[in-house]
Amino acid sequence: MKPAPFEYHVPDSLEQALALLKEHGGDAKLLAGGQSLVPAMNFRVVQPGVLIDLNRVSELAYVRQDGENLRIGAMTRERTLEIDPLVAKQSPLLEEAMPHVAHPQIRNRGTLGGSLANADPAAELPVIMLALGARLKARNVSGERWMEAHDFFSGMFTTALAPDEILVEIELPPDLPHTGWSFMEVAPRAGDYALMGVAAQVTLDENGRCRQARLVYLNAGDGPVDAKEAAKILGGEMPNDDVIEAMAELVSRKEINPFGNIHASSDFQRHLAGVLTRKALKQAIERAGEDGLQ
Amino acid sequence: MASQNIGQSIPRIDARSKVTGQAPYPGDLAMKGMLHMKVLFAERPHARVKSVDTSQAEAAPGVVAVYTAKDVPVNEYGLQIPDQPVLCGPTLTSPSGRGDGVRADIVRFVGDQIAVVAAQTEVQADAAVKLIRVEYEDLPILSDPVTAMKADAPILHPDRGDSNVCVHYKIRKGDVEDAFAKADVIVESEYHTPVQEHAYLQPEAGLSYIDEDGRVTIASGGQWTHADRAGIAHALGLPEEMVRVVYPAIGGAFGGREDLSVQIVLALATWKLQRPVKIIWSRRESIIGHGKRHPVTLKAKWGATKDGKLIAAENEIIGDGGAYMYTSNKVLGNSAITSTGPYFIPNVKTDVYGVYTNNVPGAAFRGFGAPQALYMAELQVNKLAEKLGMDPVEFRLKNALRDGDTMGVGTPAPNPCSVVEVVEAARDKFGWKKKRRPKAAGRGGAKNGLPPIVRGRGFAAGFKNVGFSFGYQENCWAKVEIHGNGKIEHVVLHHASAEVGQGTHTVMIQMAAQALDVPTNIVELKTSDSATQGNPGSVSASRMTFMAGNAIKGAAEAALAKWEAEERPAIAEFKYLAPRTTHMDEETGFSTPNFAYAYSAQAVEVEVDTETGHVRVLRVVAADDVGKAINPDLVIGQVEGGVVQAHGYAVTENFITKDGRVLTDQFSNYLLPTILDIPEKVETVLVEVPDPNGPWGARGVGELPFLPYAPAVAAAIHDATGVWINEFPFTPERVLRALGKI
Repeated sequence: MKPAPFEYHVPDSLEQALALLKEHGGDAKLLAGGQSLVPAMNFRVVQPGVLIDLNRVSELAYVRQDGENLRIGAMTRERTLEIDPLVAKQSPLLEEAMPHVAHPQIRNRGTLGGSLANADPAAELPVIMLALGARLKARNVSGERWMEAHDFFSGMFTTALAPDEILVEIELPPDLPHTGWSFMEVAPRAGDYALMGVAAQVTLDENGRCRQARLVYLNAGDGPVDAKEAAKILGGEMPNDDVIEAMAELVSRKEINPFGNIHASSDFQRHLAGVLTRKALKQAIERAGEDGLQ
Repeated sequence: MASQNIGQSIPRIDARSKVTGQAPYPGDLAMKGMLHMKVLFAERPHARVKSVDTSQAEAAPGVVAVYTAKDVPVNEYGLQIPDQPVLCGPTLTSPSGRGDGVRADIVRFVGDQIAVVAAQTEVQADAAVKLIRVEYEDLPILSDPVTAMKADAPILHPDRGDSNVCVHYKIRKGDVEDAFAKADVIVESEYHTPVQEHAYLQPEAGLSYIDEDGRVTIASGGQWTHADRAGIAHALGLPEEMVRVVYPAIGGAFGGREDLSVQIVLALATWKLQRPVKIIWSRRESIIGHGKRHPVTLKAKWGATKDGKLIAAENEIIGDGGAYMYTSNKVLGNSAITSTGPYFIPNVKTDVYGVYTNNVPGAAFRGFGAPQALYMAELQVNKLAEKLGMDPVEFRLKNALRDGDTMGVGTPAPNPCSVVEVVEAARDKFGWKKKRRPKAAGRGGAKNGLPPIVRGRGFAAGFKNVGFSFGYQENCWAKVEIHGNGKIEHVVLHHASAEVGQGTHTVMIQMAAQALDVPTNIVELKTSDSATQGNPGSVSASRMTFMAGNAIKGAAEAALAKWEAEERPAIAEFKYLAPRTTHMDEETGFSTPNFAYAYSAQAVEVEVDTETGHVRVLRVVAADDVGKAINPDLVIGQVEGGVVQAHGYAVTENFITKDGRVLTDQFSNYLLPTILDIPEKVETVLVEVPDPNGPWGARGVGELPFLPYAPAVAAAIHDATGVWINEFPFTPERVLRALGKI
């Protein structure tokens, strides 16, 4: 249970980190919270030649309001997201999801940027980013670029980041008025990777019709799965049990592609997707209605 | 003054050293000049080893020695019968010419070992192991005992007869056919119980060296110093006096350290090299390398009369023994004894089979065959009660074994038999009321009518022998030294019992202090050394308090007599011999298999999420008759630990194998319950009905709290949902399938 030998660098600034990454490129791994990378190294599933430790790059750890958007540094600890009042105000969905991320000890070290760049299909944070319509900023030595969350995740444990790029910031837009949210998941044991999970955002218009809905699933494919077809069913409708049932059916039968594992068949995962879709939609719609509607 | 050392919860004598990290576990040991060992495991379930080429490994940096089958003097071992090669290789007979009873050229499970490397560093040993070239011829894999029982199945141990059936016990009492004809209700079911991994904190590890007297000495975890010594000495072809086994602190055992793991190969290398050698298995090596709780298939047909009397039980039990015997013969014997539950049943027909397969061997594990048989027996009882419209607790009390009632084996359990006491204690503490409402049973009803969250309660009982069974003359040694002049100033107790975390060393000091009427703080314990202490027997079968207590009492009394005769110091040894037991008769099972039992009952409340299938256990009331709680806090610790371990067995763990290979070979996919998953509330009721032969009345506790849990949870799930689930663990998916939701 020891990692293969590697070269270790601890830059103090983002500029230094970017320079190191440019120098070592594909042979290097960035160490953020280390909650996935270090076990993988210890099991020797991952054997980077060079490790660039970002934990002294303090300029990447922040949560700040910028006009109507919230900006979060990539090295912000998951525990901070769980307790920061700005996060709670801007995005109750993110706040609600945080206690589901592993265990408190892991959240104390784990970072937002680390989880997103790791792009585990069973992780909560990538799903939340899609549901919120977040934008992600990457940097290399020569500049920066912004990506939509949708474009960032490109497959199982893969992202749109180039070998010389570091994910540096996440921008969360504000929720529209009359938006309700829900995050739910089912794990074999408390704190385990979930067998299935869903983030729901539902925005109603003044008359209580659905203006916009988003349903994003974890462990339902090779990345966060955005159930766009199901969400369309709700668009323009007065939410009711029949519509919700149709959405749950569509999601569990068609829109997700869970793989199953030794402890759970894909049929079971599909069943759970249906159960969670019904419950999460009901909760999100109810919360949207609490926001000043009739 | 009469000292009050018994019944007091004094702090564990090892508490400080363990909490502060000072207690040395096997992995902590080191010696100057020691080498590091790594094992090449076969990693295939069934194969013939055609050749082993170690030349590259021998030439690798830092490598001092590579040993294969040809280097093991007597290449066989096994706690009950020597049917396992120490190392598998293309060598039919042992170099000594002895011990050629087992074919060493056949690999029979993934954890069979091919070679060991001793090198200057662990990394070098690991690298060299990878350079060993083995040529195999794969053989057909027998992964299912029912298939392995068929006449045309390949024979895994041809030298042990022409069948893979390695154990068969019969119990014949009365006439079941006649009784079924008279029964008003009959319940027939087939059950299946899972494999369980011991998952002790400390994986197998040890350090071997030559001691000051030239003996090869092995410091490792174990449960019985003297049995370890015998097995090591046999394989090395040495007299037992040349082998010494000592135990440092041991990180849990639960039965999984009864069989040898690292000891023989460590001793082999040290004996040949005359140098210290150390090994630590990885968690994965531990999981594939040591035995497991037997998975068992159980078929039962039980009958009762409408006034609620059990009159017949017919059982067929097939246990998967895996590749080697280990203790299957005793484990499954205990399944036979417990297959009728703690009840009086006048007509019994039970057949128990143990079968060799290419799975990881079935081994000793807390409960030792009883949890499997009791799952069947207790659910049969619950189902019969339901069918009769009787409360399951009332039904149990009506049929409970009482003093003088014969068990399945035709003889009564030793008096006093306390089934009624534990059942009533659990009932009263739980506040069990007779059935409140009838519930629609069956799949359709469950599927259509259940709210998302339902609650239910369940009840089960159990019993377990204390001490070794079936004609073995149980014995246990102790020595007491009394020092002082006018008054006793210092006492030294010598006893080799293994402290595996259960607290036995603390309890032994309390018992010695009580026997001598002195405070515990003047009693010093010298322990866990086969060279300086007599045979303690194993820490298993819930026996050590009972056996050591009697040995200590005997030694203390003899030493006191010498003290009173003015001997200074006064020193006496004593070997306690427990009452005789007998073998099960081959045709009828008639026997007095045990000299003592302890009894247990539990009531549980569960919550079932009928949408996700999750089972949460809200409350457990555990009543255990321990005879006398020498140290009540330690007893409660055993009860709570037993319940938690049983929760893993019943609900979360789910050991999975495929074609002899272990899929759950890490703690990342073998799902032990965490603090967040275990029952929210566990309440212990200590019942103390003294055993007349027990020291101060003590029976035993180690295995008791494990026994009723799985069937109690099954009964509670049924109460909540209307569905019986005959196979566990109760994983969410299994529960949902039983409810007809997927």
